[in-house]
Amino acid sequence: MKGAYLSYAAKRFAQAAVVILLAYVFTFVVVSILPGDPITNVLRDPQNGFSEDQIRQIIAAQGLDRPIPVQLWASLSHFVIGDFGLSMRSSRPVTTLIAEVLPSTLILASEAFAIALLLAVTIGYGTQFLPKRLGQGLLRGFPSLFLSVPNFVIGLVLIHVFGFQVGLFRVIEPNSFWATLFASIALGIPVSARIAEVLIANLDKESEQEYAAVARGRGLTQMRLFARHLLKPSSLPVVTVIALAIGELLGGSLITETVFGRTGIGSLVQRSVSTQDLPVLQAVVSLAAVVFVLVNLIADLVYPLLDPRVKLIGNRRYRPTTADDSAATASAAMTS
Amino acid sequence: MTLTSFSSDSRITAISRLAALRLPPTVALAFAVIALVIAWSLAPGLFTSHSPVVGVPADKLLSPSAAHWFGTDHLGRDLYTRVVYGTASSVTSALIAVVIAAVAGGLIGLLAGFLGGWVDILLARLVDVLLAIPNFLLAVIVVTAIGFDTTNAAIATGVSAVAVFARVMRSEVIKTRHATFVEASFLLGGSRWHILLRHVLPNASRSVLPLAVLQFGLSILVIASLDFLGYGDPPPASDWGLLISIGKDYLKWPWLVYAPALVTIATVLSVNRISRWLRKTD
Repeated sequence: MKGAYLSYAAKRFAQAAVVILLAYVFTFVVVSILPGDPITNVLRDPQNGFSEDQIRQIIAAQGLDRPIPVQLWASLSHFVIGDFGLSMRSSRPVTTLIAEVLPSTLILASEAFAIALLLAVTIGYGTQFLPKRLGQGLLRGFPSLFLSVPNFVIGLVLIHVFGFQVGLFRVIEPNSFWATLFASIALGIPVSARIAEVLIANLDKESEQEYAAVARGRGLTQMRLFARHLLKPSSLPVVTVIALAIGELLGGSLITETVFGRTGIGSLVQRSVSTQDLPVLQAVVSLAAVVFVLVNLIADLVYPLLDPRVKLIGNRRYRPTTADDSAATASAAMTS
Repeated sequence: MTLTSFSSDSRITAISRLAALRLPPTVALAFAVIALVIAWSLAPGLFTSHSPVVGVPADKLLSPSAAHWFGTDHLGRDLYTRVVYGTASSVTSALIAVVIAAVAGGLIGLLAGFLGGWVDILLARLVDVLLAIPNFLLAVIVVTAIGFDTTNAAIATGVSAVAVFARVMRSEVIKTRHATFVEASFLLGGSRWHILLRHVLPNASRSVLPLAVLQFGLSILVIASLDFLGYGDPPPASDWGLLISIGKDYLKWPWLVYAPALVTIATVLSVNRISRWLRKTD
């Protein structure tokens, strides 16, 4: 068992490394092969006032006149040692730019994640123990509703109601306590829907098991039954959704930061998109892929340890969903 | 459940569905909303007499009333008219996105599942890479590379959803491949292509339909987000996301945000409801 686990871990590590490298190559290919020449567009922008000679110099200095495979190799070998090059716009190292804005996004994302978890567990608890006619159906509709609302709309509604009407925060102070809290709520709500969907499905399954009936027979209170017996087995499959949720937090921060006027990774991406600053974009995308792959890797590695029922058959990656095809569709849809 | 019983089951439900056509009321409502949205996009002129582009400056920022259902914007244009005229572009672009995702993803999944071996391994890594980049970020990168307009936003959204379809298709193809009727067809001397096109593809695409409907709703949201950030067509286009983005600068007149937002939400909710219903009935 131990040997099986180790070789499973080694295999997953290798896969993760390959995916990260390929993600970098993928972004590189997308931005350099697709039509449109953002680099000279930026440099030829009359506002920058570069002469043709200077443009040629810059392009040569950045090594952009070499064939694409050579460029790819050079940039890949820099990437492996953590060097993302210089920003096209400000000529400052990309790593510095990212390091400057990262803390703000981390605060936002972790707060949003906490809110998402809290909300998902609350909804999950409600669907199990609220009376059938009072609110349970409503709560079950929540994840689907949350997923139908664009998250910039949630943000704008929160700003309108709590910023303008109630006056809890002002938009010009995006880093104040309340502004950050509401930004996290806006970011967290769609994420909570994904977690809640999986949690509800598993809670439904677990509460029909015999051990739950026994626990009820022993006269446990609802809260105790939920917290001590149902929550743990139901939250195991949630571990895999969490990895996906992290990706969504990163993507969502792009919009939430714009709506709430925060500076962060999202606003950095926005700025780099409008100035077509490719090195920055490439760095952010690869970092996002690194985070996603690492979280996934951790989830996969931790899973067999958390759930002793999981067996690593033939080193295949364990998937917690059943083979039932509606579940397969649902779980695939989950990744979107 | 074996696949043979699965397909005959669903044929029976299809017949009984046609015979009885008993829709849950929420699904009927969802279809009604979608029908209205389609009508808006096909013939916007039938639903409103105002112009979506030319406003009456004296009537600017009016609140919703009988004359202006959704109120008017900062240039005195009727917001309901703007929403109706923006429908075609919002809906068509989501459709483009789904078609791209379903065709490209379906093809990847079909080849990976049917051919197996190194093709499968290679395509699986490609899908892993697409999954590893957060969807919205991927869409933003692609739209940056190919240029800002709504069609490009649709293409970018489609690319970012390829992986989902590829995964579902692959698992369905693998399931179908081992079904008895496919093996029987092999034994009868069916060629690989014959089996792939006549047996595997039709059976495996069955579960792609609910996913495509679900993805249609998601695409509306993603494209609205791209429009919101200004990566779609510039004004005077009136895509729903763009309308909300314009409205955010006029939060004192909140209907400029709420009206297009509610239309978007109602549409996506309806699409999701239909998708769930399709999944259940199939």
